[in-house]
Amino acid sequence: MSLLKAKASRTREKQLDTLNAWQGTLFSALTEFSLGEPVKRIRTFSQSSEDDLLYALRLLAGIRDSVVVIHAPRGCAAAALFHHVERGKGRWIVTNLDDRDTIMGADGKLRKAVKDVNQRYNPELLFIVSSPVVAINNDDIQSVVEELHEELELDIVPIYVTGFASHHAVTGYDTTLHSLLKYLGGKKGKHPHDDRVNLLSIAEHPHDRNEAQRLLLALGLELNTLPDGASKGSFHQAATARLSLSLDQDSANYLGVSLRDEYDVPYSALPRPVGLGATGRWLAGVGKALGLDESAQKLHEQESEKVRHSIGDFTLKGLQVYLSLAPSTAFGVLELVEELGGEVVGITVSRLDQLHKGAIEELSARHPALLIHVADGQPFEEVNIIKRLSPDLYLGDSLHLAQVGRLGIPVVSLRDVPVLGYRGVTALARRISTALLNRSFGEALSRSSLPYKDGWLRRSPNWHIKKEVK
Amino acid sequence: MAHHIDSSRNSCALHGALQVIEAIEGFVPVVHSTAGCGAQHYLGVNRLNAGSDRFGGSAISSSNISEKHVVFGGSSRLREQLKNTVKIVEGDLYVIVTGCATEMVGDDIPAMNKEGRDQDFPVIYANTPGFRGDVHQGYQLAIKALIEQLPDLGKAEQPPVKGLVNILGIVPRQDPFWEGNLEEIGRLLEGIGLTPNLLFGYGQGVSGWQRVPDALLNIVVSVWGDAPALLLEERYGTPHLSLEGLPVGAAAGRFLYEISELLQLDSRRTEHFVQSEERRFDAQLAALADTWYRAGFQREFTLVGESAQVAGISEFLSGTLGLIPRTLIITDNPPEYAREALLSRLTSLLNGFPTEVSFTEDFAEISDLVRSASASLVLGSALEEAVAAELEVPFVQLSFPLSDRLVLARGYAGYRGASTLLEDLGSALLSDRHHNPVHQQSSAALGCS
Repeated sequence: MSLLKAKASRTREKQLDTLNAWQGTLFSALTEFSLGEPVKRIRTFSQSSEDDLLYALRLLAGIRDSVVVIHAPRGCAAAALFHHVERGKGRWIVTNLDDRDTIMGADGKLRKAVKDVNQRYNPELLFIVSSPVVAINNDDIQSVVEELHEELELDIVPIYVTGFASHHAVTGYDTTLHSLLKYLGGKKGKHPHDDRVNLLSIAEHPHDRNEAQRLLLALGLELNTLPDGASKGSFHQAATARLSLSLDQDSANYLGVSLRDEYDVPYSALPRPVGLGATGRWLAGVGKALGLDESAQKLHEQESEKVRHSIGDFTLKGLQVYLSLAPSTAFGVLELVEELGGEVVGITVSRLDQLHKGAIEELSARHPALLIHVADGQPFEEVNIIKRLSPDLYLGDSLHLAQVGRLGIPVVSLRDVPVLGYRGVTALARRISTALLNRSFGEALSRSSLPYKDGWLRRSPNWHIKKEVK
Repeated sequence: MAHHIDSSRNSCALHGALQVIEAIEGFVPVVHSTAGCGAQHYLGVNRLNAGSDRFGGSAISSSNISEKHVVFGGSSRLREQLKNTVKIVEGDLYVIVTGCATEMVGDDIPAMNKEGRDQDFPVIYANTPGFRGDVHQGYQLAIKALIEQLPDLGKAEQPPVKGLVNILGIVPRQDPFWEGNLEEIGRLLEGIGLTPNLLFGYGQGVSGWQRVPDALLNIVVSVWGDAPALLLEERYGTPHLSLEGLPVGAAAGRFLYEISELLQLDSRRTEHFVQSEERRFDAQLAALADTWYRAGFQREFTLVGESAQVAGISEFLSGTLGLIPRTLIITDNPPEYAREALLSRLTSLLNGFPTEVSFTEDFAEISDLVRSASASLVLGSALEEAVAAELEVPFVQLSFPLSDRLVLARGYAGYRGASTLLEDLGSALLSDRHHNPVHQQSSAALGCS
């Protein structure tokens, strides 16, 4: 059956056995994933983390000529305000559900909101994003979509996020991409292919997207980049491309696989181009898929030479580094740290699943005893781990960097800063070298205490991770 | 029935309650909801108030309920979460706040709270689902919970404080200058011999909240402090004084005289203090005069912000600084009873000049109003930056949300706040003069350079 027939994608845990609470060595992680479906763990204490609704809003903020209608109480739209203000992106309205709407339903309100916003902005594309309240009430978004699509002659795409059906925020990307393709991709089946290549760029930093585009254009490719910066037509075009390339398997997998299964567009799942080694392998993968091996190899050599020249004799020799990143970024940065002579002493990844089995296998062969901690936004555990390891440097992309900073170690933020490709290596090396050169801010910060009790910091960091009793 | 809103700047009740709890030292929120509620608050509120983040990140204790809890109820998850929060997170008071999902499911929060109390946890609760209202209602719900439930937890022996007054109505972070404003109001009250109970910000913790019933007076800075003040009047008979807005500049003097008379303080001391503050400020005005003439301070302005802020700042700009109040847009949805008073005062700020006053939080409506007012100065939030740029006029970012300024200690209340506002406004006008020669030319052509 066509994947896209369903209302929404399946959750990450169902698709890929994704874990969000786990701690152990790389070797035990490998064992966990090698013996069939890993046992799901839950936390008996948790801290807030991102959810599918937040990821949907982040992705949608990057789509051109569109308006987002968030069908929810006000607070579910707070992150949309953030994207609007911080990035100057995204038109959005919130249906502002109140007490009465939670009892009576709010289809009429949604209808009115869609009509008003269509009249006001006359967008090419309109999204309706659901929310916990709407999911619990089972409000009928679908009939509003169908009626108003005809009445307004407007493409309306519903995004069925719930806030609770999955433990993984990344499910929100899948749910959103599912709907984008379902409503905008065109009919299932093989279309005549053209020369274009899909670059699957999902909520990447604009500089990162530019870097990937720069490299691919240097190979002479004609690109269709989506969903970042895409417009309505990009999704239709995606179905006729000759190939899809990932920048981040973690977020692109669903889109790549759907394009392959629905439209026969081959999908090259490539390593995330973070660090020299992985960027080289990414380019080589592109070259191989398109018969451009030689040019890819040449480009890699040229660009690596430039990077080596620009970072000079910068080294991390003798330094112990902790990483807390999205998984594919973490595996790339781990390699980069080693390329630069440093030692990674532990990693926190926001999730772990079948997509990472290869990376774990490879890493576990070299570092079977390396600590791996799986958590999205659980600084109480992370701080506990880091206090024990006391690394010299922390590289992270979470929302809680400021808390880690209170441990007094140099922190480099990989959130909202470019990290991809050759330019990413140079930029990261610069930021690390600055962070190590002057540590006074960290020292000042360490005078502020952490919000945790000493009793907790003496406990084992995985104390609150338990096997789920079904 | 609540209407849909374009790019709302007023988040939900849960987030308003979190703004209260996070602004008090030793108070720990325990969110009983879906995982994203805390992160939404961090991104959509805290991050848009650069420099206002007590815990060092987004992560606050949260039960992160899943599908299972939506179907079967989440009370047991809350029980576990509360118990472990008390074990892990340092705190003097734990405050359970609920989100939409757990309220719809019908989890019994009072029962869970009682279980916590039975184990001697210092815990209270507030039902704060996002569908119950916006940040301002959330502020009121959290304060109501504190007033009603804190006495049940007993009270450490504290020596009585003379001349204690509580300050209510400043919503932390929704007023980006909340901390600076509170500190300046506190400084002014100390100046006339009172002991201010700021309740929020640095050094403000459970002991201040336990003293709330002992106050001689509740000072209500915005309409959002009315309900808490009435509750305190009902419970403890404490009278209250409602201000007509944030007291900026001369309004601060009037407010000090009023309190002084109301509480029968030493009138000579009050007079002496107010006069010395005013002399200092007058000297600053005199020092500014040449720049005032050169930089073209005297402009028509449009101001977008919350009611107390708009009332206080517009009065100062027109009443002391000689600016012309063209259009005032109030974004915090004050209740009907307050709108009338605001309208009658603000439409006639300047004798013979009709000031337009609107109440809306809708981005498109606000942008249209700012555009059609076409004033030569815009003061508002980051959301008004685009329309100000379109008008090619100087812009001062001073209401929530903020994007390109850092606020740690600044405030616009009082005499010192008036100086700060002058600095911010003057800097915007001066840098515009340097960076926007087109605008300079057009003023020159009208002969008003």
